[in-house]
Amino acid sequence: MFKELDPILHSQLRLAVMSLLIAVKEAEFTYIREKTNATAGNLSVQVQKLKEAGYINVVKQFKDNYPLTTCKITPKGVEAFEAYVKALQQYLQAGES
Amino acid sequence: METSEKELSPQESLQLIQTMINKTKDSVADDSFYFLLWGWLVFFCCIAEFILKVYLQYPQHYFVWCLMPVGGVISGIYGSRQSKKKRVKSFVDEALDYLWIALAMAFIVLIFINVLGQTSWQSVLTYYILLYGIGTFVSGKLLRFRPLIIGGLINFVLAAVSVKFSYDYQLLIGSLAILISYIIPGHLLRIRHQQQKN
Repeated sequence: MFKELDPILHSQLRLAVMSLLIAVKEAEFTYIREKTNATAGNLSVQVQKLKEAGYINVVKQFKDNYPLTTCKITPKGVEAFEAYVKALQQYLQAGES
Repeated sequence: METSEKELSPQESLQLIQTMINKTKDSVADDSFYFLLWGWLVFFCCIAEFILKVYLQYPQHYFVWCLMPVGGVISGIYGSRQSKKKRVKSFVDEALDYLWIALAMAFIVLIFINVLGQTSWQSVLTYYILLYGIGTFVSGKLLRFRPLIIGGLINFVLAAVSVKFSYDYQLLIGSLAILISYIIPGHLLRIRHQQQKN
């Protein structure tokens, strides 16, 4: 039996955000937006979903009077990402055999 | 990436993960400024002290090292400006920060050892060269940048060699060490970052 792919991660933009955040310590919202080419509105919604799932931490603060949002992956997020990649590998191996 | 609802195949998912991780490769900060600032500053001080002490026989030849706090202030101002501009922090950046904070503390402790110890100034440069070696070797490994690794390794040899020489010539060995481990790799690192940007 195949493991079901985590629906939180199995979405293009959310997976892109998680893949970025797994590779760095933390990143600002504007950096993530630039790297994913997403619109601010769409990205906000998906970041919120990842936050609600407990996969990322979102810190909102002010820097020189401008709002600044910083995102960082949580241990739960790392675990979920690893499980997702393992599940993907199972699917691909099944496809090859 | 307009929509989040597009159904992904496992291949597409893995491809996406790989693409995004690759995009973070340019996230490591350009640290060449620090290598060049401290490299040229220490190089100048070594040569200047050598000339003042050996050729001009100026008694307060060690005064040139008063330039070090100036380097500290410039580094601090530059660092705080860069941190405001920076939108991403990589694990390599964090590791480098802690490495150089620890080394900066060691450099300061060496100043106290130098001032408090009666004869410790005679071999202090050996320990500075050793610390430069640790800093540049580890930085080179973290940044996967060979000139810094080579510079660091050469410094370990120079540190061992320097004990056989008097303080005057240790100044020249120190200037050679900083040229090989900071100045040359610093310029090459700057070139690498400029190439990555383009």
